Formats: sequence, C-alpha cells, structure tokens
Amino acid sequence: MVSIKASVMVITLLTICLLATNASPVHHGCCRSYMKNKIPCFKIKGYSVQTVTELCPINAIIFHTGKGKACTNPALNWVMDCVNRLRNKAHIVHMKSTKADI
Amino acid sequence: MDNFQEDTSNQSYLDYNDTDFDYDLIGPCSPQNNHSVQLVVGPYVHSIICILGLVGNSLVIVTYALYKRTKSMTDVYLLNVAVADLLFVASLPFIVYNELSAWSMGPVACKLLRGSYSVNLYSGMLLLACISTDRYVAIVQVRRSFRLRSLAYSRLICAAVWALAGLLSLPSFYFYSWYQPSHSRDAFIDEKHSNSTAGAEYVCEFRFRYTTEAHTTKVALPSMQLAVGFFLPLLVMVFCYSAIVGKLLRARNFQRHKAVRVVLAVVAVFVVCQLPYNLTLLYDTASMFRLQSCEGADVLQAAKTVTQTLAYLHCCLNPVLYAFVGVKFRNHFRRIVQDLCCLGKRYIRPRRFSRVTSEIYVSSRRSVDGSSENGSSFTM
Repeated sequence: MVSIKASVMVITLLTICLLATNASPVHHGCCRSYMKNKIPCFKIKGYSVQTVTELCPINAIIFHTGKGKACTNPALNWVMDCVNRLRNKAHIVHMKSTKADI
Repeated sequence: MDNFQEDTSNQSYLDYNDTDFDYDLIGPCSPQNNHSVQLVVGPYVHSIICILGLVGNSLVIVTYALYKRTKSMTDVYLLNVAVADLLFVASLPFIVYNELSAWSMGPVACKLLRGSYSVNLYSGMLLLACISTDRYVAIVQVRRSFRLRSLAYSRLICAAVWALAGLLSLPSFYFYSWYQPSHSRDAFIDEKHSNSTAGAEYVCEFRFRYTTEAHTTKVALPSMQLAVGFFLPLLVMVFCYSAIVGKLLRARNFQRHKAVRVVLAVVAVFVVCQLPYNLTLLYDTASMFRLQSCEGADVLQAAKTVTQTLAYLHCCLNPVLYAFVGVKFRNHFRRIVQDLCCLGKRYIRPRRFSRVTSEIYVSSRRSVDGSSENGSSFTM
C-alpha cells in the first residue's frame, strides 16, 4: 500500500515538474558547413573557435561580423590570416595598456 | 568601424574590395524544426511515456515482490527487464528537464543520467535477447532445457548482462561532461562588441582531449550502441522466434495460433519501436563529419528526437508484451487487485488508488486477452 501511495506521489510530482518547465531547449548552434567566399578582415569584429573535441562535428572558426556570425574553414590561409590580425591587434592593445599602467 | 581604420590601410595585402561582402553568411545552425519538436515532445509525450512506464513496470515488480516468487528462469529475466525499464523511465524526466533547462542540475547529474541511460538501454535490449533465447531453449531444444534453464544459471546470466551493460557504458560515464561549449563561450571580440560573449549555457555532451580521440569515439560509441543495443538482439530474436514459430506451426496444439500471435507482436513491437531510431542513428553516425546544410542537419535532428521518443515507448509496452500476457502472471496480479480492494473497503482514503489500479488492470487485460490465452506457455 505504502509503495503504491509513494509511487503515485512520485508520478504526480514528476508530471508537475515536467509540465511546469516552460524553459525552451537550449541550442548551441554548431557550424555544419563553411563559407565559400572570403570575408574582408576589416569587417571581422572577433572570432570564436569550434572544435570537434566538444559537441560539434566539425572544426571551424566562427567570425563575428556586423552582419552576424560566419562559419569558416580553419584549414584555409585567409581565415588564419584574419585570426592572426585580430590576435596581433589584441596584443598591441595589451602592450599599450601595460605601458600606461607603468 | 572606427577602430578598424588602421586595417584599411593595408587592405590591399589581402586583396579585398567592399563588394566581396555581399554574400549571405553561412552561420552556425539554429535547429528550428528540432526546437519546436522538442518543445512538444519534451514535456508532454515524455510525461505520458514516463507515467505509463512507471505504472506498468512497477506493477510487474510489485507483483513479483509480493506474490510471485521468481521461480523460473523467465521470471528472473522478466523482473530484470522491468527493473531496467523502470530505472530508464524514472531517469527520463530528469534528462528531459535538464535538456530544457541548460543542465541546471550540474556535473554529477550529467554523468549519472547519461551513464544510467546507457546502462539501462544495453541491459534492457540484451535481456530481451535473453528472453527469446530462453523461450527457444524451452520450446525448440526441449531436451536440453532441464539442464540449461536453472534458476542459478539465469541469475548468473542476468548478472553478466548487467556487468556487460555497465562495461559498455563506461565510455559514456567517462566522456560525457558538463561544460559551456567553447565556441559560444570563448569569443575573442573587440571590447566594443564584447557583450555577446556573456552567458553561455551549459551542456552535457561529449568532451575529449584530442581530436583523434574525438573522431574515433564519436563514431565508435553510436556504432557500439547500434551493434550491441540493436542488431545483436534483433538477430537473436529473429533466429529464436522464427525457430519457435516453425515448431509451433508443426505442433498439434489448438492454441498455437495465439502463441504465434504473441511472438509476432513481441517482434513487431521491437522492430516498430527500435528500427526507426536506429536507422536514423546509423545515418547520423555515417554522415556525422560530412559538411551539411543547416536545414538537413535540422531535419535529421528532429527525426532523431521523434524516433527516439518512439524507442522510449518500448519500455511501456514491455510489461504488457512479456509479463501481463502470461496467464499465471495475470492470476497473481488478480490476487493483488483483490487484496487491494479488500484494503480499500477497510480504509477510506486508499480506495482511490485501488480503483485506479483495477482500471489499469482491466484495460491491460482487455488488450491482452484478445491476443493470447496461451501466453502461459511463453512466460512459464
């Protein structure tokens, strides 16, 4: 008797929990294919790295532009050129700010 | 754009002109179809599956625990299947809740839920294969059945199945991790635009240290699930049940058609529930590292969500297909219901529960009676 009572309680609780969840599923959009065209480096505001070692199935460099995000192939030279430019710029900013601190 | 002005001076280095940037961007995919499918299937359909599965499988376990001692080999298997299915449907709401709420229950829940999902999947599937083998030995290999169908032997097999399921699930325990995906977390962005990096949500997915490890494991784990969790049980079931049906059709038993119908129902439900999901999984695994359009990936993901739900439904049908189909089991169950009714007359409050149970009992009886009275030969 006790076990049935308990199981009915558990079932009710679980149902309420599920139905009360109005949160939307979270999606971490992965890049599934690459841009065919080049993007001018000066349009790129930043980048993030998608690796196959996490949930996504392919490696990609995601460029953040004014128009939105762009998936690019890290195997291509122009992609890494743009990444290096952004990196250099960050480095210069870093050097300037450390000098200013001193 | 001001902070980029120094770049425009050496723009010729990369040989661009502004007109190059008129193309549509190919961005990260946002799964819209799958999103809407998940919103419907997630809370509502899974609640129904969860309730049906909890009720059906706990009734089987309660019947075994209170009334029917596990006397035969089949009893041991049926009890173990019910336990595996019950654990599975019990973890289902937590998985659904976490998928909808960015894994708010944390890293321990992530590993435990993914790991137990895998253990229950493997043990459930392998036990179904064991049941079909047991029936094969009992009906086709009658001479050997006295030697092979002992209680100790079946307990040993069940222990081996659970151990194997645990072993096969170790990679899931190991590789599933709770983290913020780096491609939505670590964005290098100029200070002026850095606000978009904040608030990456947590996921509970695979994480690897090396690219080669990632490539092999992402293919190896679903392949293993397909091979051991679907094709092996399917082959065993098809072999055993076709031999059983052959033997039954040759036998001069007036109830043989009912038994054949039970066998066909068991196999048909297995195929209908599991085949779509496993085919989708097979296609998904085969095309995983290929470049795909967002629409294609979205449709595939939505198909996976729908077929997976169908596969979950299998857990609710197992109690009806395997346990309640047997006459002996139903008799034991009838005693429970009668006892509950007696209790219900004595107490006022529990009456509600007993009525609910007897309604389920009646409906399960009705659904089963038509198909087989000879089910007893299958659940000896």
